[in-house]
Amino acid sequence: MKQKTLLFGALGMLVVLILFMVKDLFLSSPEPGNNPWKYDLETMKQADTMKPAYTMVKAIPSGLQGLVAIATGPGDRIYTTGAGGAEIYDSACRLLLRFDFEDTAYALTVDSTGNLWMSMGDHVEVWNKTGKKLQTLKSAGRGSLITSLALTGSSLLIADAGLKVVYHYDHMGNMINRIGEKDPVRKVPGFVIPGPWFDLAVSPDGSLWIANPGRHELEQYRFDGQRLLSWGKPGIGIPEFCGCCNPSHFTFLPDGSFVTSEKGIERIKVYNPRGKFSAVVALPGDFDEGTRGLDLATDSRGRILVVDPVRKQIRIFVKRSTTSNN
Amino acid sequence: MKYKAALLLLLLLFFHGFSVKAIQRFPRPEFETAYSQPETLLPQARAEVMEVVDVVVLALSLSLVSWLVLKKRSRKGVFWMSLFSLAYFGFYREGCVCSIGSIQNIALALFDRNYILPLTAVVFFILPLVFALFFGRTFCAGVCPFGALQDMVSFYPQKTGPKLNGLLGMVPYLYLGFAILYAATGTDFIICRYDPFVGIFRMNASFGMFLFGGLLLITGIFLARPYCRFLCPYGVLLNWASRLSHRHLTITADECIRCRLCEDSCPYDAIDLPLTDKSPETRSSRIRKMAWIVVLIPALTFLGAGTGFLLHTTFAGVNNKVILAKQLATPANQQIKPEPFSVTAFRTSGKSVESVNLEAREVIRRFKTGALALGGFIGLVFGLVIARRMTGRWHDDYLPDKGHCFSCARCIDYCPVKTKLPKNTP
Ligand code: SF4
Repeated sequence: MKQKTLLFGALGMLVVLILFMVKDLFLSSPEPGNNPWKYDLETMKQADTMKPAYTMVKAIPSGLQGLVAIATGPGDRIYTTGAGGAEIYDSACRLLLRFDFEDTAYALTVDSTGNLWMSMGDHVEVWNKTGKKLQTLKSAGRGSLITSLALTGSSLLIADAGLKVVYHYDHMGNMINRIGEKDPVRKVPGFVIPGPWFDLAVSPDGSLWIANPGRHELEQYRFDGQRLLSWGKPGIGIPEFCGCCNPSHFTFLPDGSFVTSEKGIERIKVYNPRGKFSAVVALPGDFDEGTRGLDLATDSRGRILVVDPVRKQIRIFVKRSTTSNN
Repeated sequence: MKYKAALLLLLLLFFHGFSVKAIQRFPRPEFETAYSQPETLLPQARAEVMEVVDVVVLALSLSLVSWLVLKKRSRKGVFWMSLFSLAYFGFYREGCVCSIGSIQNIALALFDRNYILPLTAVVFFILPLVFALFFGRTFCAGVCPFGALQDMVSFYPQKTGPKLNGLLGMVPYLYLGFAILYAATGTDFIICRYDPFVGIFRMNASFGMFLFGGLLLITGIFLARPYCRFLCPYGVLLNWASRLSHRHLTITADECIRCRLCEDSCPYDAIDLPLTDKSPETRSSRIRKMAWIVVLIPALTFLGAGTGFLLHTTFAGVNNKVILAKQLATPANQQIKPEPFSVTAFRTSGKSVESVNLEAREVIRRFKTGALALGGFIGLVFGLVIARRMTGRWHDDYLPDKGHCFSCARCIDYCPVKTKLPKNTP
């Protein structure tokens, strides 16, 4: 008797479950109201509760119309460019020089003599530290938009977000080779660049790293175009890169650690030289909503300099333990 | 054997044609307008190498379990393997990719050219069937995490009897038919929608999903493996394949001595008892039965097909395009308030009502054929089940019912004949 009760109880439960499935499939009507797929950035921003290991020690207001790019040069001088001009500050953040030009500079790097190499959209111009144009390199072609530059002893590396490729030039502007074009034979996946954010940098040990924002990765290449390594994962978690295409910018600390910045959820983070997350520099609460284009630079003291185009400031972050030294 | 191998090769080649290597998703452009695009969140892709690992683990597990069942005849070994599979395919791989759900990937790939069928899904679909074709349902015995989880809670299994088994045993056929219909029409993956255990494996699901899985496990305390026996659509395919297996598990290692010790050993009612006292049938009675079967099977098939055809709009009512078209056609005073998100999304899309109606009509047209085939299939299955009951085959041994036996090897432990005796032993 008891066994029968157990059996029929179990069978009854099974039948109820089957009926539930049938009802849910055929008889339920759509739920009224809210968007069940709403992508709520706000809650995600609030979820970033990790305490930053860095703190902001200075915010230098820039006199430039639109602030776009930043670099550091000899003597830890700070160089910035943007719409219609460039500025040079000394390491104590005192303005040394401001000069004007007509175009907008989209990218900037500084050579060992303090000359500024700037992207004017589709071509590169070299200006000296007194504000005189020295050289104009050939245009990369129609549709080109140069968003990042880096110099080594004999090479100029150019990241072209428009044509989705990196050019390897000599200092005279002669092209040596192209890097990162899709090539299944060499296992190069190609760059996925949905927006005007495409950065590259040369690490302190001289290796070339290029952001592949659509893949949420940083990729290491040899100068001949051979792809070597990559790291980075998509995701909303702090160690990952969020959104459709990040990181938007990156640079290196003197010890070879990566500093990255993201848009969408504005975050600046540090990863060790092997690409393992190590610290938070700044979180969405540190920026105005919708801030994009957080270009980065570092100096010999390990300070992180960030361009904030919305507040029109150069913001300087230092590690909390070293705050007193700055 | 040769025929099976050729069939298998053909199947593999056929499905391989559908598989295309996954490619990087195409990112959306960022236009220079005031519209700011919401950022998308991507699930982390599983590394390709890990997918290969999954396939290798599946193949090795199937081989090991088949060996444990057929060569070692070891229930203990099968038990430990099922624990491993529960840990790996269940909790570590979080129940995905699973062979059960892969039915839908295959169905969708067959009917939608644009669907990219993952190679892993193909292998997870085919490999257990291939093993069933040769060795019986060894996948169910020790590789399927769903089966393993239910086995862990099967403390007081009760006998259900052939009638209830037969009746409830029809549900998986219906489930399979609907799963294929809805996958093939791009409507829904209902096997995943009503997956009872994935929430438990992932430790993350809605309350309803947990409740569904929890209640099914409670049912499983008294009704061994309720999902496998009375719901699993993949079990239908394994059942068919296993019926053809030559090297299926046997309860006894040698001749059955009809000691009846194994009679109650199977918690799944999957042992065919001897049909010894069957009085020989007269010729006229056999002819009468055959005539019935010849009439019954086509009649039930046509009846099923007709019923399916009549119900095609009801079945199509699950499709989102049809639901939207219905909502738009509902008079304003009878509409759901506040309006469902699908309606809001339609209004902001700039699409016309006419285009939605056109799409819905196309879906319903596809359901006409689909529901007809589904109904016919169910009718045919009914007919075959009845025919099988009418023509029980005579045998005087205790035999595992090849279709329903999960090859769990429990009954082996009950059999006193443990080894094959040499020929000519008195
Ligand atoms: S192996 Fe034996 S106990 Fe297990 S399902 Fe088959 S018949 Fe039942």
